[in-house]
Amino acid sequence: MKHKLMVLLITCVNILSVAHAGTIKVVTTTTDLKSITELVGGNKVSASSIATGYQNPHFVDPKPSYIIGLSNADMFVTVGLDLEIGWSPQLLSSSRNTKIQKGAPGYVDASAGVGLLQVPSSANRAEGDIHIYGNPHYWLDPLNGKVIARNIANGLERVDPSNKSTYEANLQAFYKKIDDKMREWQSKMAAFKGTKIIAYHNEWVYFETRFGLNIVDFMEPKPGIPPSPSQLVKVIKEIKANNIKVIISSPYFTTSSSDVVAKQTGVKELTMATSVGGFESVKNYFDLFDYDINQLTATLK
Amino acid sequence: MKWKNSFYSFVLLTALPGVACLAQVPADSTAADSALLKQIEQQMQTTTQPAAQPQQGRSTLSFNPDIGVIGDFQGSYISKGNRNFNAYLNETEVSLQAAVDPYIRADFFLSFARDPETGKYGVEVEEGYLTTLSLPAKLQLKVGKFREAVGRINPTHPHALPFIDLPNAYVNYFGDEGLNDEGVSLSWLVPNKKFYQELVFQATSGQSESPSFFRGDNNRFIYLGHLKNFFTLSDNSTLELGLTGLTGPNDSSRTTSIASADLTYKWKPVQMNTYKSITWQSEFYYGHANLLDNFSINSIGLYSFLQYQLAKRWFLTGRYDYAQRPYDKTIVEQAYSLTAGWYATEFSKIELEGKTTDNNIESRFYQAWLRWIFVIGAHGAHQY
Repeated sequence: MKHKLMVLLITCVNILSVAHAGTIKVVTTTTDLKSITELVGGNKVSASSIATGYQNPHFVDPKPSYIIGLSNADMFVTVGLDLEIGWSPQLLSSSRNTKIQKGAPGYVDASAGVGLLQVPSSANRAEGDIHIYGNPHYWLDPLNGKVIARNIANGLERVDPSNKSTYEANLQAFYKKIDDKMREWQSKMAAFKGTKIIAYHNEWVYFETRFGLNIVDFMEPKPGIPPSPSQLVKVIKEIKANNIKVIISSPYFTTSSSDVVAKQTGVKELTMATSVGGFESVKNYFDLFDYDINQLTATLK
Repeated sequence: MKWKNSFYSFVLLTALPGVACLAQVPADSTAADSALLKQIEQQMQTTTQPAAQPQQGRSTLSFNPDIGVIGDFQGSYISKGNRNFNAYLNETEVSLQAAVDPYIRADFFLSFARDPETGKYGVEVEEGYLTTLSLPAKLQLKVGKFREAVGRINPTHPHALPFIDLPNAYVNYFGDEGLNDEGVSLSWLVPNKKFYQELVFQATSGQSESPSFFRGDNNRFIYLGHLKNFFTLSDNSTLELGLTGLTGPNDSSRTTSIASADLTYKWKPVQMNTYKSITWQSEFYYGHANLLDNFSINSIGLYSFLQYQLAKRWFLTGRYDYAQRPYDKTIVEQAYSLTAGWYATEFSKIELEGKTTDNNIESRFYQAWLRWIFVIGAHGAHQY
């Protein structure tokens, strides 16, 4: 009897401590995943992101300090498709946290089920930094945000089944807001269907496809290779021939080569946000598209 | 029942070579086979077992480990002796890495290199170890042959260093190949939420060659303890302080102990981290070698380098070396070197290094190296 009481007491203490610990600790690789995790998880989760919104997600430095958060996390969310191949596997295996290793319930690959673009037919590094599973910048299509949110909700429901109804309700609210905002974004972009633009790096294909833009070339001659003089000449010719109005870039690329092209052609340079936190005002996943679409439409007008 | 069996055999057969094979079957088969296929197709449509469908993309998956090959071609010059110029494939490193099962992963690094004495190519296991993934209490165990946790240089593969030669003090204590031995390594992630702290304990057999240690005909091993402290000073700058102590038998069947401290400051602006960075790294070594009764030699050595990233692809590294020879501390070496590196991509880099060395037993001499590192296949991440 005494023994049973002890067991009961220990169980109660355990339940209490779990309840007291409260939120599910989620570490995401990028800020977009953090934002969606917060929208789906609500007050049941506390999320942090390893990368900031203004740094290149391919080249995050695997600082040991990130291991502290990972070692205590209940869930880990990754963009996947080898976007983070240079840094996240190393951090994950150093975390000594079995809950978030690949294959564990707390490991969420946000790309599961995303319709991928630019899946190469051969893996050849002579083509630059190509991604063997397809272009990994898929979060820049708001409709892929729904797939990401579904994957994150699945993960939260695996590690915290008791709050399933909350996550499902938040997920539905997220879907609805995306649908509502999509109408607004589509109507703003409608006037610019087929508009030809230049991009610095090949990271806008999902945005381009969703909103009907036409990226005719990149400042980088091949993904990851810095702009070369011959590429600049080619881009200048294309801008002149097609009357291209804008070069879009990201906060983590230098503008020196775009400056040269702008000087030669009068083309405008626009640094867009590639992730939440890319600019001060981009505080969540919806702000990301609000910001980019407002900036882009204002520049193209 | 018989049908069911042949159906399963068919699924097995087609699933093994994959989807491509399935597509080829009708074209090459006889009419009888086509009839068979038709019947199977009908059965597949009526069957209620969806698991039997061959999965798309299955043919591309395999359990092969991630394989990478790193080439290290060098040309060198030295101002003393008769053979001043040389060119050689310094090393070909083959890496094989994968998870073994849910509990451990394995990493192998095989090194193909020319023996400087015999001139013949040979293979050696540079590293080959397992790492546990699921020990409790924030512990991680490494078992096998590995580069030991002495400071910052020793755990790093030479191709990843920002200079071509190794610091004099480091070579004096640990040799050209570094302290790379067989045994076990247990590391503990200290539950410190303020800054990263890792404590490592290693016990190795001492069978691998090194100037400081020698495995005699007895049961004495090399023991090592390392404490790594990593501080995030700001978003853009970090500081690492490491303390190492190791002790083991030497070739006089007595004991050599080495203590070392490493300090690394990095400035890398998060937003433009691929364009600009500064690293200042130093290591200090103190050696105590007991060689005879009542006779020990205490020696010191250090290096300090400053690496400056000029642009996305350009790095400049200046280094100062000071070293007392561990077995004759009256011989003191001092050296200055400068390395310029052009990192074409993550997978190839070219470096040029010049070095001047002074010591008190011969006249000043100069050295230069040119190295081209090239990588194919998978390439694991480097330590920060």
